[in-house]
Amino acid sequence: MKMQDKVALVTGGAKGIGRAICIALADEGASVAVNYRSSKAQAQELVDEIEAAGGKSVAIAGDVSNPAEAVSMVEQTIAELGGLHVLVNNAGIVKDTLIFNMEPEDWQSVMNVNFGGVFNSTKATLGHFMAQREGSIINISSVMGERGWIGQANYSASKGAINAFTRSAAVELARFGIRVNAVLPGFAPTDMVSGLVDKGGKGIKKQIPLRDFARVEDVAALTVFLASPDSAYLTGTCLPVDGGASAQLGLGRPE
Amino acid sequence: MTNVEFLPQVRSAVAEALGIEEDEVTPQATLLDELGAESIDLLDMLFRLQRSMGVKIQAADLANYVQGGIPDDDFGSEEQDVITPAGMAQLKIVMPQIIPMNLDGKLQPEKVMSYFTVQNLVDMVTSRATPVGT
Repeated sequence: MKMQDKVALVTGGAKGIGRAICIALADEGASVAVNYRSSKAQAQELVDEIEAAGGKSVAIAGDVSNPAEAVSMVEQTIAELGGLHVLVNNAGIVKDTLIFNMEPEDWQSVMNVNFGGVFNSTKATLGHFMAQREGSIINISSVMGERGWIGQANYSASKGAINAFTRSAAVELARFGIRVNAVLPGFAPTDMVSGLVDKGGKGIKKQIPLRDFARVEDVAALTVFLASPDSAYLTGTCLPVDGGASAQLGLGRPE
Repeated sequence: MTNVEFLPQVRSAVAEALGIEEDEVTPQATLLDELGAESIDLLDMLFRLQRSMGVKIQAADLANYVQGGIPDDDFGSEEQDVITPAGMAQLKIVMPQIIPMNLDGKLQPEKVMSYFTVQNLVDMVTSRATPVGT
């Protein structure tokens, strides 16, 4: 097991991609703090599931868009699980709408949770990571941070900010033994993006070179790799898990 | 002050943070001007010292140590852009090497740290690592 004796904190860990990441990290022996904002029951269910499988896990409440709550989330993790080595910044929201109809609150709230959450949680771990000269931070971003999509200008901008922050943080924190990388899922059918994949489902699938949506386990597997010593020499990368979608020039097919 | 007890740990932290040889890190060398330390290097040194000695020193502590708790307005005169006599008296305690430099009435506040040496850092670490009264 690659994460034995390590402690990981996953923000927004109760559902979707975050849930799959918690399970995958626990499978590799990590103790896992499942952060949640509103999904208390699902978080506790996941903790019970991990413990039933022989793992160690706690559910920790906290809104990552609030700096003080991010600090207490990190302190609580260290107090309850005896340390912290991996931070997975996964919490995120969408408020899809056309820019023409977008209200200031629509982009500010998405920015505050998605990018603000990454910033607040990252900052909250630094004193601990720098003192122990060890830490892996994995930001769950999106291919939308590198490309555009109708109705997702706010989300796309927040993910682009995460990708830029990932590179700068990696450069700044490398000398303290901290690695920072981002995972960029393509279309992964979770509750959060059900609107997107349901509406354009079949048509989107056909255009993905690997001809399928991402499974949450595909995203989790890359996250575990970036958390583990297997990726010791990787930092500052933004790695897509998108079935080849973003590699392709999407203008139809040859005859 | 000529504390030497913690010199090895400080030399090692400074050398590693700056990526230079330990023998370049002499007690007399100034951290910023001569050794070329930048703010991120100072942060790196302090975290390395925290790890090797268990003494937690924050960047703000460094400034407080140099300023000796004197409020900004009493330490440096804003209109004249120089350190006040009270400020100079404090600096001569924590950075005694400046005594023969005749800086009175001439030292600009922003230049103070450029005179801060490896020995000054050792002295600071010593003051942090040694409980008061021993």
